[in-house]
Amino acid sequence: MGNRLLSMLMASAVLGGIAEAKTVIHVMHQGDPGWVSTYGEVAKRFEAANPDVDIELIYAPHDAYNEKFSAAVMSKQLPDVMELDAPFLANYVWSGYLQPIKPLIDQDIVGDMTASNIAQGTYPVDKELYAVGLTDSSVVLYGNRKYLEAIGARIPKGVDDAWTREEFEGYLQKLSKLEGVKWPIDTFRGYGIKTEWITYAYGPILQSAGCDLIDRKTWKSTGTLDSDACVDALTMMQKWVKNGWVVPQSSGTNQFFAEGHPAALALGGHWFYAEAAASMKDDIVVMPLPKFGPKGASPNGTWIWGITTASEHPDIAGKFVSFMLKDKQLREHAKETSGYPGLKSFAADSPLYAAGGPMAVAFEQASTTAVARPPHPAYPTITSAFMGAVDEIFNGGDVKAALTAAAEKIDEDIEENDGYPPFDEQQ
Amino acid sequence: MTLQQPALTATAALARPARRKGKGRRDRGRLFQEIGMLAPAVALLTVFLIVPFLLSFWTAMTNQPLVPRPTPVRFIGLINFLRIFRDDLFWTSLWNVSRFTFWILPVQCGLAFATALLLHQKLPLRNFFRGLFFLPAITSMVVVCVIWGTLFQYPTGPLNQVIGFLSGGLIQPIDWLGDPNWAMFSIVLLSAWQAYGFQMIVYLAGLQGIPDELYDAAKIDGANAFQRFWHVTMPGLRPTHVFVLVITTIQAFKLYTQVAILTQGGPKSSTETVVHYMVRAGFEEQKLGLASAVSVILFLIVLVIALLQRQLLRRFDV
Repeated sequence: MGNRLLSMLMASAVLGGIAEAKTVIHVMHQGDPGWVSTYGEVAKRFEAANPDVDIELIYAPHDAYNEKFSAAVMSKQLPDVMELDAPFLANYVWSGYLQPIKPLIDQDIVGDMTASNIAQGTYPVDKELYAVGLTDSSVVLYGNRKYLEAIGARIPKGVDDAWTREEFEGYLQKLSKLEGVKWPIDTFRGYGIKTEWITYAYGPILQSAGCDLIDRKTWKSTGTLDSDACVDALTMMQKWVKNGWVVPQSSGTNQFFAEGHPAALALGGHWFYAEAAASMKDDIVVMPLPKFGPKGASPNGTWIWGITTASEHPDIAGKFVSFMLKDKQLREHAKETSGYPGLKSFAADSPLYAAGGPMAVAFEQASTTAVARPPHPAYPTITSAFMGAVDEIFNGGDVKAALTAAAEKIDEDIEENDGYPPFDEQQ
Repeated sequence: MTLQQPALTATAALARPARRKGKGRRDRGRLFQEIGMLAPAVALLTVFLIVPFLLSFWTAMTNQPLVPRPTPVRFIGLINFLRIFRDDLFWTSLWNVSRFTFWILPVQCGLAFATALLLHQKLPLRNFFRGLFFLPAITSMVVVCVIWGTLFQYPTGPLNQVIGFLSGGLIQPIDWLGDPNWAMFSIVLLSAWQAYGFQMIVYLAGLQGIPDELYDAAKIDGANAFQRFWHVTMPGLRPTHVFVLVITTIQAFKLYTQVAILTQGGPKSSTETVVHYMVRAGFEEQKLGLASAVSVILFLIVLVIALLQRQLLRRFDV
């Protein structure tokens, strides 16, 4: 990180000296190697179209992104354009790092955004749009057709007839006894214990069970995260782990499609489809997330683009964001990695998610069961506290105690920041 | 004698001021020289160590966030310290670091000492082997962690396969990094392997510093190999032992990289360490005040341990 900031500093010093005619736009982003090179190519194309602009890409890995961003803030090295994880938007806007993006980007893009995409980029206090993305996201339940047929499982057709908790746990039980199945389900513990995946993917299980990470009216976690419904939901997940039904953390993230198909189900992100389908072909079944209570819930939100208040050329930064979102090759790469559409024009161009397409269920979830992560400036603490509790619980810790500790940590943080005004007044 | 004594004192009394004066002038010149030579080091230490340390004392008593926030920064006294002392996770992390230190000291120092003794012998290709054994120490810890992370994989990682093969399948695969009972031990293994090269070099230097005449004399006195080791090598290595012990303990208390890369403090907080706890407080939760308080506590702990070790070893006439 130090090196990156240093080289950035040197780069800007050098460029500032010689290239007064050229405007430098710093763009901070995350992503796997495929995306990193895609962004590099987009930057080159933008520079070719705008010879007076230099795009400086700054890469930061996503598990430590918020930390890197803080470091950039402290050293007054804020980029012009930054990719950000949607649930952190409230924190960044509240802290004053982002500026409304609507006036800065092409207006046809604003009209092209899906409702969920608008929601993830909107700050709840002033209802302004601060970030925009090409994509959105969801989590579905992938199944191995052969195993599901072997146990005679019902395959849901849409979000409405998703598996109930009883059905789901019954199938897990049956799968655990089936020949060839080493683990009934992969919940991607392999992503680690300090990763947004935990809050993103397991949060909806709480919401479906009838509780939440935090009360979204009073913004208090005690009484919600440590409520009986949440304790019950996480006790259930703890039981799966205890029974040996879940792929352990140290076994990687490919057990669903690895040789011999050791994992029968996978509670996985939409991005998992491309890789799994390439290896499993017709054996893969895409199902909606099970209902753990009266109503279903699914996650949404992904990495989206904002323009910082530190930018000296917000108009050019906006021009770059518009250029990138419309870039054909970038959309092509998004499609290859089973990108989940956040723009209507991209959805129309994605047969994967269209009605009748293999991932149609995932797209259906966005408008039926999707629940955003709490749009509150305390989100960094909320997610960090929840991750800690889940690690404790999955390793046999006391569920109630772990959730109570997490809820207290969250409330303590909110108190310490005077309730993050004006969030303390929202009712 | 009684007669001479006062006379002597008198001469001394007469002589001394004069000598002092002469010496004083020279002293002052030397003093300036010494101050001049000390100045760069003192300035650097002040700017980069002492001032930040005092600042962290101050920050520890505020609710300073990592990055500026719209809410004001307040002086909150000892609340951060109270919060840390009330947090079970802090005590867990302290306990974990103590466990780690307790394991790593014999494993790492023992390994280093044994290889140093071996490589001090007149073996063929001695220098090649010295370089070879030192290789892990110059490899980045991050790289070592990634490699060992693969070795540790469960259930089909190389380490488990080797153990399964050697035991004829008797020993079930171990979830090295995913089992709360094993995780810290696994970190000890890889840490010792990565870092023992440094201690080995220190021991080698210590061994080379023992004069050959002592061994020759011991031989003439009829001492056998073990007696020569126990009565010549060991006493000759005492300062080395102290240095290695203190350095290893302090390093062990600062355990961070391995944990940050491989386990992130889990499973079930079994590898949470004080420094990792501090980084999490400061960067993840963005509470710089709280993190500073942890750093102050860590400093005091390490200071006390270093002083205790010195005292203890001094008592053993080292």
